[in-house]
Amino acid sequence: MKILIADDSRVMRQIVTRTLRQAGFGGHELVEAADGRQAHDMTISEKPDLVLSDWNMPEMTGIEVLRALRAGGVDVPFGFVTSEGTDEMRQMAEQAGALFLITKPFTADNFTDVLGPILG
Amino acid sequence: MTSPTTEDLQAITEQVWLSYLDPEGVAPFLPSEETPSLPHVIAAVSVTGAWEGHVVMSFSESASQMAASALLGIEEDEVSRDDIADAVGELVNVIGGNVKSLLPDGSLLSLPHVATIDEGVNKWPAAVEVCRLQGSWQNEPIAISVWTSKSTG
Repeated sequence: MKILIADDSRVMRQIVTRTLRQAGFGGHELVEAADGRQAHDMTISEKPDLVLSDWNMPEMTGIEVLRALRAGGVDVPFGFVTSEGTDEMRQMAEQAGALFLITKPFTADNFTDVLGPILG
Repeated sequence: MTSPTTEDLQAITEQVWLSYLDPEGVAPFLPSEETPSLPHVIAAVSVTGAWEGHVVMSFSESASQMAASALLGIEEDEVSRDDIADAVGELVNVIGGNVKSLLPDGSLLSLPHVATIDEGVNKWPAAVEVCRLQGSWQNEPIAISVWTSKSTG
């Protein structure tokens, strides 16, 4: 499967990549986007099977990316990996069609629990 | 209004260290009276909306280099200024996001800002400090503080 990691921080993209590997998902193809606009455009051009997106990003926020994708008829499985996990944001994420919201800091166990059912 | 406490900062910091900087549990952040002297690296995020203020981390230059090295998985002498900005910016973003989860709904977190302070002072003129956690990581000082607007605090 192909996974798109969207985060404006190279450090965080690296940590997500490492954590995916530690959680046993190292065999999947990974592509990276460095801001929200890129995340949106690459979701359309790269056709990933899963998008892992930060919330706060330049150009477009993660929630704007998700809403734009859904409005454009793109139904890709989409989840947030974000430093903020308020009930308000979880609700917004769910309403927009996100499958999950993983809060930073996260561990490999968090990834296994949440992504296991999706990535198999 | 409820404000974050030093104990909150300690709990959040422990989680961040265990997840990213000390996954083996061998080099924890140790609270102490130590505070980074100049020059040091400052990383900050602001909170606006229902609660207004700043979450600020300061690192000795060496601590900021070690953080970038640990987060990027590269040697300390390969770390660039951009790597440091990205690493400490992301750390304050994660800590700020967790602090924000303790604040009232309707608060918004800014993107991080990172600066190196060589001399002089670094001021938050419209804010007062509400809590501070300081200590060391592998013998290098790091401090984390939360500031709130004088008008809402």
